[in-house]
Amino acid sequence: MSNLIYYVPLSIILVALILAPLVFAFVISIVRSDYLRSLIIIMIAAVLAISSLILFARVTITHQIIHYAPGLIDWNLLVTIADFGLMAMFIRMGVRRKSALILVFAVIQTIILAWVEFGPKHTEMAYPPIFIDWLSIVMTLIVSIVGSVVAIYSLPYMREHERHQNLTISKQPQFFRTLLLFLGAMNGMVLSGNLLWIYFFWEITTLCSFCLISHDETEESLRNATRALWMNMVGGVGFITGIALIQFNKLPMDASRLLELVRTGNEAHIIALLILPMACLCFAGFTKAAQMPFQSWLLGAMVAPTPVSALLHSSTMVKAGVYLIIRFAPIFRHTALSEMVAIVGAFSFITGAMLAIGQSNAKKVLAYSTISNLGLIIACAGLNTPLALAAAVMLIIFHAVSKGLLFMATGVVDQSIHSKDIEDMQGLWARMPLTSLIMVIGILSMLLPPFGVLIAKLAAIESSIQNPLVMVMLVIGSTLTVVFWTKWMGRMLATNPQADGRKRENLPALYAGTLAFLACGAVILSLFIKPILENLVLPAVANYYNVAGMEMTPTVLSAPWLMIFLVIALSVLAPTFFNHLRSSQIKPAYLCGEQISSRAATAQFLTVADGTAEMTVRSYYFEKVTDESFHVKWVTIVATLLIVILFGAVYLWK
Amino acid sequence: MNILQKSRAKSPWILHYDAGACNGCDIEILACLTPVYDIERFGMVNVGNPKHADVLLVTGTCNKRSARVLKNLYDQMPDPKVVVAVGACALSGGIFHECYNVLQGVDGTVPVDVYVPGCAPRPEAIMEGVMMALEKMNKR
Amino acid sequence: MEIINIFFVIVIAPVIGGLLFGLDRKLTARLQKRMGPPILQPFYDLFKLFGKGRIASNQFQLISVSVYIACTILSLILLATGQDLLVLLFVLALGHIMLILGGFSVRSPYSQIGSQREILQLMAYEPLLVFMVIGTYLKTGSFLVSNLMTGSYKPLLISLPAFLLTQIIVMAIKLHKSPFDISASHHAHQELVRGIYTEFSGAQLALIEMAHWYELILLMGFIALLWQTNLVIGGLIAFACFLAVILLDNISARLTWKWMIRFAWSFGVGISVANLAAIYILR
Repeated sequence: MSNLIYYVPLSIILVALILAPLVFAFVISIVRSDYLRSLIIIMIAAVLAISSLILFARVTITHQIIHYAPGLIDWNLLVTIADFGLMAMFIRMGVRRKSALILVFAVIQTIILAWVEFGPKHTEMAYPPIFIDWLSIVMTLIVSIVGSVVAIYSLPYMREHERHQNLTISKQPQFFRTLLLFLGAMNGMVLSGNLLWIYFFWEITTLCSFCLISHDETEESLRNATRALWMNMVGGVGFITGIALIQFNKLPMDASRLLELVRTGNEAHIIALLILPMACLCFAGFTKAAQMPFQSWLLGAMVAPTPVSALLHSSTMVKAGVYLIIRFAPIFRHTALSEMVAIVGAFSFITGAMLAIGQSNAKKVLAYSTISNLGLIIACAGLNTPLALAAAVMLIIFHAVSKGLLFMATGVVDQSIHSKDIEDMQGLWARMPLTSLIMVIGILSMLLPPFGVLIAKLAAIESSIQNPLVMVMLVIGSTLTVVFWTKWMGRMLATNPQADGRKRENLPALYAGTLAFLACGAVILSLFIKPILENLVLPAVANYYNVAGMEMTPTVLSAPWLMIFLVIALSVLAPTFFNHLRSSQIKPAYLCGEQISSRAATAQFLTVADGTAEMTVRSYYFEKVTDESFHVKWVTIVATLLIVILFGAVYLWK
Repeated sequence: MNILQKSRAKSPWILHYDAGACNGCDIEILACLTPVYDIERFGMVNVGNPKHADVLLVTGTCNKRSARVLKNLYDQMPDPKVVVAVGACALSGGIFHECYNVLQGVDGTVPVDVYVPGCAPRPEAIMEGVMMALEKMNKR
Repeated sequence: MEIINIFFVIVIAPVIGGLLFGLDRKLTARLQKRMGPPILQPFYDLFKLFGKGRIASNQFQLISVSVYIACTILSLILLATGQDLLVLLFVLALGHIMLILGGFSVRSPYSQIGSQREILQLMAYEPLLVFMVIGTYLKTGSFLVSNLMTGSYKPLLISLPAFLLTQIIVMAIKLHKSPFDISASHHAHQELVRGIYTEFSGAQLALIEMAHWYELILLMGFIALLWQTNLVIGGLIAFACFLAVILLDNISARLTWKWMIRFAWSFGVGISVANLAAIYILR
């Protein structure tokens, strides 16, 4: 078996992971048959998942980082041409959307790109552009598995979505084209080492996100997509500036070479040259990961169909931002930049959680929670110790699964009750038992033991102790996180007594399958956190810092997790299965004895003139304290200041 | 007397419902809570929630409107439970006996275990009534 | 040794906890010039509740109570067997959140508002506990209780004095003592009836009551950790804190949740951070 895996040629795996989605993207855009489209998507999903697993197995068995130069044609030239093609598309979009911002940033990028490509080039060895280490593997697995699950989930979702729109021509071909393009581009980005390649794929994801957000072509979605585009193009300008600076300083344009230089060469000299470009790349990462003050594009993105949000928030797009920062984290270790990155991340962590408390729109809560969690990941990258990076990589994995799950479940609920408002989800536990159970599992996996996100968060707190400011923000932020999640779960669970037991729920097979897959994934991954850490996360980090395993195993892992898991599972299962309430034991809620009947399963009570009134309950949203428009204002100002300070610190540090 | 019965006797949690009293009896019940009488020394607690209560203390004339509420409260109490009717009105309608809207006494609505007469009964009598009710509960 | 510890936790802890709560009621009564119930009163209440017939509104209530007490006992076991303090805190939080969800699961205005406020109580005390754990980490370089007990460190209280105060606040919030009896209170009824506990009855309520006893021992254990060199002294300090909380309960009135959050997060977090800052600077 292991031999078999080894003899699958690397080129085929790469073609399957990067080129196949790109090619099939164009195939699917001309396929008009629902059946054929489903077939292609499921096939591609399977291919992606299997190839990523093979790649993982291969690297695990050989313990070798892969450098690879694809043959046949001059791929570098192809990327260069495609890059300018992309720029032309951006300019066209700027003109079509009449957005001066897009136009300006596109032109700036084109000019800098032209300088990088055609300007004075220093003699440089040609490095193999494909660079695969454990971090790439982690990302590929997430993109290929979670991303594929989202793609499959989109099939029934988009069918239902279009049923409500009365379209004459289905827009599904375009939708799935963009989706596949997105997955291919993400895989391309995480598997390349050449900065220009990374930049190319990075810009494709920007373009894809624009297309997906504007998919419904309502005025609001177009407006929000335009905002997403220009904000991400600000990041693009940062990215290409970083590349130009590296070129200017006559440093290699290759991630693996840069990491190697820092690890072996005369560090101080090289780091001094690299720190400003790195700051630019981090800035690009902030925009893509929707860190404050760039949060508004991700919030605007929720107008898109729910699978888009599931994709953007869990496995692609925002993860590209944190990936970029983590990828280069060891280079700016022990610099002022690192400190500032940690502070910017921690600031987003705490403010994202704070803003989520006041929201009643489920997708908005999820969006703020994503911003918050990405802030945590970036804070870990900024803390920049082996332990912190291990925490960051774990967070990427577990967050992808849980957040994808939550968005997908929200989409299912939305299509059933036609509302995204958490208040409308009241009593969902009785109406949609399966979906709400999955949702509760998803939420619990975001914030409580024994689930992975919490374990990673504890590791993050542990590693933040060297940086008191970040530590305080992480502790307070974690507390705020608990508030909005618990409120949400509480709303779903608030039911009237059901004397006749819970109803069964009929979910379409593809919904039930994908949701159950991710829900089980969240539980099983948490159960096997130790092997995951040892086989996937620690090699990724060890390779970075040249350290042994002990130094980065978080101490929280030494806790008796198996016992904790067992006790919790037992305490949940025992009353579920062995302690059933008889219907005579079920009593209505206490309403001062004023409920209309002692048996009724409603919360109605008698009021004046023998009228009946329904008892209504609602969550606290602390409107006066958590007023969004007010907080967003000062958060934007402070976050902008932090980024200015970041660049100032980098400048002074030199 | 086994440990459960002893515990029941020593920990009566009381729900007080005023079915339409003049408040005379209610004031006497509240007097029981004061340091002078201090019913907590017998473990009695005024819980105000049928789901936690063992003893339902009813005062006042039960009328057609309050009977429904009284029934609901009684239904929401977990077994074993006892009812103590406090004061003349709760026993028989009292001076409101002849009124068109009054049901004569609460025992038409819920099964009463102990009747504490008086207008209003003294706090000692109320406490005695609760004690008797508990004895009755344990003998059941 | 482990087995003895675990046995001690499961069997002896609730006995001590129950007695302490009995003492609480007795002392409170004496402070109000009443006789008060016997010290064993909590046990009578508990046995009686276990003997009540079962009523509930839904199955989830049973699950929530079961997880609540399991997690509380589990976190006490983690403390007794010298495990990771940070993990312990979040296991405790899991139990607490499940209880809150149990309160939410019934559409009763009382338990709903009680649960909302319970989230705020959780929010108020959680950072204080985490900061204390971080304080011990800074002094000992580990989150493990066993490490703390076996290492030769000076009593933590000397370098972490602020955390004695914050632990008193935590205890008052966690036990729902005035001025923090916002989501529910232990005695006398209020406008929320019994707040978050309103819809639990019989054996479920008894289990919640028992979980409180475990919780009290856990909180006192935290305080005792501050004098880890001699747990007898630590225990005495914890007991003194418990008495302080009872006194505070009797001399103060209930305040609003806004005040609670503001107080816990400005004063509590303030002195915690000041103490941590002092350690960073003096290190």
